[in-house]
Order: sequence, then structure tokens, then C-alpha cells
Amino acid sequence: MEEQMAKIDLSNISHTYNPLDPKPTYALNPFSMTWENGKRYAILGPSGCGKTTMLNIVSGLVRPSKGEILFDETPVTDLKTEDRNIAQVFQFPVIYNTMTVYDNLAFPLRCREFTKDKIEERVKAVSDTLNLSSFLNSPARKLTADQKQLISLGRGLVREDVAAVLMDEPLTVIDPDLKFRLRRNLKEINEQYKTTLVYVTHDQNEAMTFAENIIVMDQGEIVQVGLPKDLFEKPKTTFVGYFIGSPAMNIFHSTVSSDHEVKINDTTIKTNSNLGNLKDKNVKLGIRSEFIELAEKEKNNTVKIKLTRVEDFGNFKLLTGKMGNLVIKSKVEREKPIPDGELNLYFPPEKCCVYSDEKLV
Amino acid sequence: MSKLYTFLKYFFITFWTVFVVAPFLWAVSTSFKDFQSVNSKVTYIPWLDFEPTLEGWRVLIKSPAKGGVDIVEPYFNSIFVTCTASLISIVLGTLAAYALSRFTFKAGFVRNNDITFFFISQRIMPPIVLSIPFFIFLSTIGLLDSLLGLVVVYIVLLMPIAVWIMVDFFNRVPKELDETALIDGCNPYQAFYKVVLPNSIPGLIVAGMFCIIFGWIDFFFAFILTFTEVQLLPVKVVALNSSITPWWSLSASALVSVAPLIIVAFIVERYLSKGNLSGALK
Repeated sequence: MEEQMAKIDLSNISHTYNPLDPKPTYALNPFSMTWENGKRYAILGPSGCGKTTMLNIVSGLVRPSKGEILFDETPVTDLKTEDRNIAQVFQFPVIYNTMTVYDNLAFPLRCREFTKDKIEERVKAVSDTLNLSSFLNSPARKLTADQKQLISLGRGLVREDVAAVLMDEPLTVIDPDLKFRLRRNLKEINEQYKTTLVYVTHDQNEAMTFAENIIVMDQGEIVQVGLPKDLFEKPKTTFVGYFIGSPAMNIFHSTVSSDHEVKINDTTIKTNSNLGNLKDKNVKLGIRSEFIELAEKEKNNTVKIKLTRVEDFGNFKLLTGKMGNLVIKSKVEREKPIPDGELNLYFPPEKCCVYSDEKLV
Repeated sequence: MSKLYTFLKYFFITFWTVFVVAPFLWAVSTSFKDFQSVNSKVTYIPWLDFEPTLEGWRVLIKSPAKGGVDIVEPYFNSIFVTCTASLISIVLGTLAAYALSRFTFKAGFVRNNDITFFFISQRIMPPIVLSIPFFIFLSTIGLLDSLLGLVVVYIVLLMPIAVWIMVDFFNRVPKELDETALIDGCNPYQAFYKVVLPNSIPGLIVAGMFCIIFGWIDFFFAFILTFTEVQLLPVKVVALNSSITPWWSLSASALVSVAPLIIVAFIVERYLSKGNLSGALK
């Protein structure tokens, strides 16, 4: 079998589920994106933001209202699902109840008329990876929910030649320990076979540990595409700031006071952003709690807060303080002594992000 | 409290069992009686109360020329009509139900649910309303008093049941199952018969059971639409009655009439108790 893995282009795709309505509501707003061959992508976003619609468009279960999909520059928009060579794993295990585990895993290969030897070889390889070898001859319906989901995953991975394996929150029903191992397995499979993996999740940790590229979506819109590091350090919108990271990014209403400075209440904070044309405008200042440092005494770029709570997470302490009516959270090393009452927090200018109209300046 | 509950529970179970089983036992006992044992005094137990005889049973297979009633031919007629009509109803009904469950139909104001209701509404009317149209219809196409005509009419009666049960069943099978089959490389037809259909065997069994029951017990249309050429079992059983009611052969024929349904019930019950009827997808 020749290698068929493909680069996937989504060009000007948009989708609505009520196209006949005079004012259709769009589940996906127009976007274009390219998924490179052999990479791992995670689509991250809250429920109902269009993640699943996007997967279904790629696999052909949903035909996009507008736009075009290309696999290796060949348009496949009108190609049927069964002819697309895509594997998709759903959130809940979907297994063929009437078949054994072996037959379940072999089904995609049988449908595509692989030889018996090839089928046996592939099923064995996949069942070894997923720890299903000892169940191969039992009826699939007798297995537990997480084993069933392994079968679903296995059916996705059993074809070596798929253009991409799309996974729609596949590990929801699997317990944490196994989850961790499976994510690593998926990574290994990706590295070994160079299979493009697309992984939908609403769990940022899952996305961060799994993917090379993360696509953050909100309300049918792609908000940011980037490496985990970019999403963390330079979120393009306040939504990404809120959504990624735990705790969420600190975001304060502020006013631009000079080319590089903003004012929060009466404190001036210097940033590295160029704010020349936003003078006196209302903006938002965002900073990760990880980047806020404890300062010995008041200096440039420090704010004075009143400590309201200290939570010990074992590996760090989370300080919650108030500056007037603003709440500030800061992560500090757990060995650091925390002074009582009032303390000064330093905002490194290079870590401050300024948002105008919810978008990064 | 719980003791009283247990007592009441077993009391009602026992009561209900007696209520259901007694007529059967009564029929079994009566089928072995002769004129004397039925009409002289109340008798219950063979050999003690009365001398059992097989006359009531013999009559059923004797030809009319020898003073019998011969229900063998009507029996096989009934089996043929019921099975053929049920099978065709299940096949067509399942296909219709799958379409109604998976695709969206629009014709004017008519939607999927309206079509499903249209199927079921065939059973809303009292059968007698349908008798004249069916009679005219069959006589026009020359199928009155024929097995084929009965099969046609029974399909009309049974298919709504099959559609109704199967639509409900397919609606509970997640559409992800079909989608997974498509992704695994089946075309829509293969997805249906390789994946969805084997998963639907419990639904098919239930639908089949209802079709067989309703087909088998129908007296009305069998009575209206046949005369001399073809007779079905229920009609023949009723025809047994004469100026002197032959309780013994009536009981025997009643027992052989319910026998197939009891067998069906046993098979289906085994299936039901295995828990296979639940959606069983997740």
C-alpha cells in the first residue's frame, strides 16, 4: 500500500445548520487553515464552539455550506465519507456489538479489502499498542466502557494509510492513569507512523501535552493557532487568556497613559507594547499569575495589594490579593516567605499584554 | 411492613398465575372429555373424574367425509399467510423505518414524524371501516378468497406495527454508529446491513413477534375476504361450533391454535431476558 497521508487544506470554510433561514446562524465562521502532514493538532474550545462541526466537515459527514477542502491539493469537498480515507473517533465508544474485538479492529481493513495476512499483522500491532491482545476473541459488547473506547481508537489507528485520524474528545470515558499512557501512545504512534492526528478537547492540559499546534476556538471562530508556549505567553485575545492556564490570566480594566504605559486605578504599569495611537482609550491589561513576582519594596511596575488568601498547591502557592476592587492572583514558589497584610507585586513589562477590543495590541 | 409486602406480592402473583393458567388447564382437560363427561356433571381430573378420550383431537385431522373437520389445511394456510405477510412487513417496514429515522423528509408541511404517524394511523380506524374497501379492492384485482389476497391485506395491517417499532428502535441507535461505519469504509448500504442491521436484531425480534401475533389472531379479515377456496385457522375454529357445541374439539383446536404463539413467546422471552433489548451501545 502506498503512503497516502496528506496535507489537509481547509479553504474559506464556513458552515450553518439552517441554510434556508433568511438569517442563518453560523456554527463555523469563514476560516482557512492548513494541517501539515504528520503533525499533531489539538482543537481546543468550550462546548458548542464548532469543534465537532469542523471535524465532521473534514471527515465528510457534514458538507460545508461554503468553502473547499483539499487533501494534497486535490479537492475532496464532494467526496463521500467512505472514499475519504479519514479515521474518526467519537466522544463515546462506538463499537460493533455483534462482532468480536478482533472483527471490530479488522472491519475498516476488510471494508477496504486488505489481504488476510495484512489484516492480521495490523490488528496484532494495534491491539498490542492498546493492550487489547488478550481480549481479541471476546465479544466486543462484553468489555468495559474504556476498553470499548480503546476499540474505537484501534479502529482509527489500524489503517496505516489514513490521511488523518480525527479524535473528538476520545479520552473522556477513560480513567486518568490510562489517559496519560494513551496520550503518550498516541504521540508515539504519530512519531512512528507520521500519522496526522487531530484531537478535539476542552481540556487545556490534554491539548498542551498532546499537540504541537493548538487551535483555540470560540463561538464558531478560530481565535488563535499556535504553539502551547505562544498561547500561554501571548494570548491573542482575552478569551484565550481566560481559557488557557490555571488560574486564568489576570485581566484588568485600564487606561492608556502614554506610549508604553497603562494605568490601573492609580498605578502606572510599563509595558513593551506600542500604545501610541490608543492614548486615553480604555484597554485591558493581561498578565499571567505565573509571571507576577513578589517585590521586597515598592518600585517601578509594582502594585500594592492586600493579601486575602494563600492557597498551597504543594508545588506552588497561589496568592489572591485585592487592589481596590480588583482581584489579582499570583503564583509563587512555595518556599518563599509570604509577608502578612500588604505586599508589593512586580509586573515584568515584557510579560504584560495589552488588549484593545479584546484583541492583543 | 416488608413481610406484609412480601405476602401481598406472592398472593397477587399466585392469584394472577391461577387466573391466567386455569383456563388453559380447563381447556386441556376438556379436550380429552366426551359428551357425557362435559354435560353430566362438573369433572376435573382424568381417570378419576372421567375416562379420557382422544375423540376431540381425532376430529380435527379427520376429513369432513368421515365426520371430521380437518383443520390441518387451514392451519398451514394460517402459517403461510402469517409468516409471508410478517416477513414482507418486517423487510419493508425496517427499510422505511431506517429512512425515517436517519434522513430528513420534507414535502410541503409533511415531515418525518408526520409520515411515521401516517403509517400508524392505518391502525386507528376500526377494522370494519376497512372491510368494504378491502373487499372491493381484492375483488377488482381478482384476489378474493385467495392466499395471496390475504397476504396483501395482512401486509397493510402489519407493516405499520413494524415501522412503528423499528423507527423507535433506530432512533435509539446513535447515528455515530452509521457514521463510524462510513468512516471505516462502508457505503451507506453496507453500513446498514453490515452494522446497523446486526445491531437491530432485538428490535427485529420484537417487531416480528408483534407481526406474527397480530397476523395469527386476525379473525375479521380472514372471515370477510375468504369463502370456500381458502380458510384460515381462526375462521375454521369458529366454524366448529354447531347446534351441539363440541366443547372437546373446540378446546383441542384452541390449544393447537395458541401453540405456535407459545413457542414464539418462549423464544422471545429467552431473548428478552438476556438483556439484549437495551440500546447496548454505550
